[in-house]
Amino acid sequence: MKNILLLLAFSLGLICIQAPLLHAQDGSALPSDKEAEAKKVHFNGLGRTIIQQTELGGAIMDNNPEKVDRVTDGEFLLDLAINATPNEKSEVQAILRLRNEFGGFFGAGQSIEVRELWARGIIADIVRYRVGDMDMVMTPFTLFNPDEEGMVNNPSIFQPQKDLIYYEQFYAEGNQRRLQGAKVDMGLNFSKGLKSADVMAFISRIRGADFFTTPTRFVGGGSVDLLSNTFNDSLGLKADLGLNLAYTWDDLTVGEANSGIRNAVTTIDFDVTILEQSKMGLHLRGEVGRSNLNVLEEDSISVYKIDDTFLEVGAALELKPQHLTLSVSYVDVGPDFFSIGAQSKRIGFDRPKSYFNRVGADNMVRMPGLFDISRDRSMYTFQLSDRLMNYDPRLSNTSPYGRATPNRQGLRFGLDWKPADERIEASVTGAVLNEIRGQGTNELKSFNLIRAMANVNFDKMIDWKNKLRLTLGYQYENTSRSGLEVEKVDLNSNLLEIGLEAELFANFELLAGGTFLTSNGRDYIPLIETFNVVKDFPDPFVSDDTEALLGAGLRYNFKKDTYVTFQYQNYSFARKTDPNNDYTLSQVFVLYTMNF
Amino acid sequence: MKYNNRFYLFPLLCLFLVLTACEHDTDQFDGPGLVDRFGEFQLLEGLTISRATVDFSAGETVIFGARFNKRLNFTLRITGMESGSVKTIQGFDNELNANNAVWSGGTTMLPLFKREMCQVELIIPDENNLTLTGMVEIVGTKSYEGSLFTDFETPLGANLFTGNFEFELTNRTGRQNDMPAAQGDWYFLFEGTDNVVPNFFVGLADISARVTGETYIPFPTTVPEDLYFNAFIYADGGPHGIAVIQFVYDLNNTGLFEDGQDQTFQLAGDYPLDFTGWRQISHPMSDLGITQAQLSKMVGIRLLLISNMNSQPSPPLKVDYGIDFITFTAGGPLEL
Repeated sequence: MKNILLLLAFSLGLICIQAPLLHAQDGSALPSDKEAEAKKVHFNGLGRTIIQQTELGGAIMDNNPEKVDRVTDGEFLLDLAINATPNEKSEVQAILRLRNEFGGFFGAGQSIEVRELWARGIIADIVRYRVGDMDMVMTPFTLFNPDEEGMVNNPSIFQPQKDLIYYEQFYAEGNQRRLQGAKVDMGLNFSKGLKSADVMAFISRIRGADFFTTPTRFVGGGSVDLLSNTFNDSLGLKADLGLNLAYTWDDLTVGEANSGIRNAVTTIDFDVTILEQSKMGLHLRGEVGRSNLNVLEEDSISVYKIDDTFLEVGAALELKPQHLTLSVSYVDVGPDFFSIGAQSKRIGFDRPKSYFNRVGADNMVRMPGLFDISRDRSMYTFQLSDRLMNYDPRLSNTSPYGRATPNRQGLRFGLDWKPADERIEASVTGAVLNEIRGQGTNELKSFNLIRAMANVNFDKMIDWKNKLRLTLGYQYENTSRSGLEVEKVDLNSNLLEIGLEAELFANFELLAGGTFLTSNGRDYIPLIETFNVVKDFPDPFVSDDTEALLGAGLRYNFKKDTYVTFQYQNYSFARKTDPNNDYTLSQVFVLYTMNF
Repeated sequence: MKYNNRFYLFPLLCLFLVLTACEHDTDQFDGPGLVDRFGEFQLLEGLTISRATVDFSAGETVIFGARFNKRLNFTLRITGMESGSVKTIQGFDNELNANNAVWSGGTTMLPLFKREMCQVELIIPDENNLTLTGMVEIVGTKSYEGSLFTDFETPLGANLFTGNFEFELTNRTGRQNDMPAAQGDWYFLFEGTDNVVPNFFVGLADISARVTGETYIPFPTTVPEDLYFNAFIYADGGPHGIAVIQFVYDLNNTGLFEDGQDQTFQLAGDYPLDFTGWRQISHPMSDLGITQAQLSKMVGIRLLLISNMNSQPSPPLKVDYGIDFITFTAGGPLEL
């Protein structure tokens, strides 16, 4: 029966491929009236095939030759989106996933599941609503999905696997989080003073109850965004002020659970346009707010309560003729600031890896590296965490939890250059931050971070019709702390990315690139088991590591977002502190992705 | 211009927010002190033992003390000089005190302690296994909870019947004190070879409930889910022996164990004897499928020695096991 359904759905998918492209998969745009009249049900989706072989080598295999050193796997899947507009004010969409693992036959390894389900519409031409799956983002301190570490300007060669991870984990553009619940929003326009006001509210269940000790967890909240009219037309003075609330809570009324949390984050964000003229723009931007964390037991007895504040305020200067934007901001995020919706990371460094999770004679858990971050979807999550997740200080020590990283004070700055001729585009961002409260000592850590990227479009320089682009990314990070010998910290890391995209023939590209990481020094990584409470410091984190991820391959683009790529990648991991466990990983894969 | 004046409210508002958002609690650093955690080790106060002699049967306890300059892993190991029993207490702290280093007479590794001298060792693994030692004498052993069925310390007389029907048991089968018992001095040893009638069965021993002085076994509770059977079993690691323990229900209401007329219950899977040394076995009586009414009329316990002929070589090897301190507890397994 399953096979028949699979065949039926696949056939439907093929029929739809032949149909003209009508609709975005995420349902971001309502179909036009003409389209709605012509057709009320649309099909679109994504098809993907990946077959890959991964091989483990190096000293770790030389010392343990009996271990398995090669894994071949893959999958074939079709995400079929069925989109219906029963009337001009309502729309529903379901995405059915049909998946077959490489090597799966006659039911084994096959699955059919609902990947996405939502409905949306407009009530009385005023209030928009959406129920079911939805992507939400508010501000970097309330509800936000901060970018993962380990990349600055990811070379194109590694991007297909990254896109695959993003798709699987529902990482939508704009740092949105995938939630399941309901959302309403509306906008009001005014003729005097205020120009407009946008109001939004949402509620989502982020964890189900087990009816024993784990209660249902919800996140809800909303925002009011007020935009003023221009105060002074010659200067372009105007202001945008937002009031935001993200509230996470456990429902203790259902089941036997008797302990739960309340985490409220209230903020005000603003963007004041001081000057907006043809040659120059100057903005005062920022966000300020407070978090409250309350752990309750039965009868609302508070057993743990903590609150703290944050602020980020700065200015951005845009020099329009030079296509240059400069920004600087002062940051002060309290050590007890806790925001589940904003501090949950994408990468769970303690999650089991899909490939060679345990290696060596002692079956030790392999330390995740650039290779895993670039391709292993099982290391990623879209779930919200009620504790500060583990991080790798070699990849991100300054802001492991994004801009909402607690216990940071100092300056962030940025420079962005995007000339109109698009020959070169570049940006530099950085931070000079300190801890506000010490960890394990009253001495404070200092963090220095520089991130730079550049895209050099040679095809624009030599006026070649095919794409020829060099991409560069670089990150330098230093963490230091003075004090007694055991308190001292000095950790340096360098991340370098080089990528090449050369379109040899129309739509046929040669891709090559590499990512290199070096790290040396010492730091202490806190062990956090609940919320943001430092329980202990395991052994000092000592690093003298070198990682290199190299790749080369070919890609043929059938059209935008539909391509096939064949690649070879090689990764090496070397620790001077543990040379017997140095290893290499190499992989060959073919990936075919089709959006329709 | 009117709007311009209002506009300046925004920077003022921002300034207000900035001033109110920069106050944090910085009095105490996060987590344990790094000096305390990773600094050079110093012994501030050596091992202390709160008493030289202890009577656990009277409810006395021994409190160990020591102080270090930092928190670290420690192991307290108390070894009975006669029984060989070992009690281990592990912790992570900068001090041993009444909260983390108290001994109330229990054991971690069988056998149980006797009235004997004990050596106390405080070991710091992270400091090259630095070891501090002391002594304490037990003058009264711990009284364990639950109802004792038998500990074989006194002869069972007519309450014990040993069935050597196929003449496969050795002469050593019976009460023995030829090695340290799990508790006290005596235990019951089963030993034999299934080489006369190769049918898995080697021998049996029936112990009547009257060994407790009652007609039926006195249990602390008759709720099968709450009633736990406990015994210490000795095995020598030989892989061919199986211990079977049957609980006999007085089906015909005579108050006596009558083979073939009363009903027996036993644990599915029984007790494989593939380990070495004394080991505690415990399980709720509900695992046997026994009812509360049946538990109120348990007339005895039958011990059997089985030789797993499927795995035995030819000729078959000797199999054996020891058993000691058969007790019943309520609410959970016997806690050592």
